[in-house]
Amino acid sequence: MALSKKLVDTARDANLNKNIGNFSYWLHRITGIGLSIYLLMHIFVLSSALSGAESFNTRMGLVQSPFFAVMEIFLVAGVFLHMLNGLRITVSDFFGWSRAHKSIFWIIAVIFIALMVMTVILQLPKFDPGNYTMGGH
Amino acid sequence: MTNNLSNRSLWTWLLQRISGLFLAFFLVTHLNVHHLFHDITVDGIINFMEVSENLKSSIWWQVYYFLFVPLVVFHALNGLWEIIADYRTSSTFSGAVKVVFWIIGLGLIVVAAMTLRNLF
Repeated sequence: MALSKKLVDTARDANLNKNIGNFSYWLHRITGIGLSIYLLMHIFVLSSALSGAESFNTRMGLVQSPFFAVMEIFLVAGVFLHMLNGLRITVSDFFGWSRAHKSIFWIIAVIFIALMVMTVILQLPKFDPGNYTMGGH
Repeated sequence: MTNNLSNRSLWTWLLQRISGLFLAFFLVTHLNVHHLFHDITVDGIINFMEVSENLKSSIWWQVYYFLFVPLVVFHALNGLWEIIADYRTSSTFSGAVKVVFWIIGLGLIVVAAMTLRNLF
């Protein structure tokens, strides 16, 4: 009972308090849960190396395609959002900069956009299916 | 009356921040090497040989992953546990979840360590 009530309360709170603090709280929570699920899948995919090189290459081949290159951009966005907002929380806690947390939010927003532009540029060759070869190995 | 503060210790809070600060370094390095700056037009798709050669290129990669994997597993599970404890769950429930998370976490670290040993 208490749990469902708390969940309803937090949803109502998010609706009532549309401000940067509340927004980044949800952003941090959702990206955190998403990245935890990704971590589980990441370890699962890589653990195919336990059955040898062939098994590893087969399973890694399944997650390397233009579609996954796009998904990877969302992953990297989640990492950068969680990392930058985590640093914002940490400096606010440790240095007593809580009063500046809104300004810090806009600073990390600019850094985030710059990092994402870089990410998309770096991912561009992965959008071409013709580039999916075994390379020099 | 129980509240979330009674379930969440200072260590939960402090270690989440400390591990997070380390991860800012470890995760950016990992992302750069294996995700973003992996040039598919030169190296092709990621495969066993390539990853293995990459990891063997320096002894520091072993030190790196020995620190990185436990840190990231701890940060993820401690974070998830913080969320659960935040919803004013009973201390019996959050205590049980903590035990389950420790088992999952140690299991993940063992699997990851065995995987890395095969690749190194």
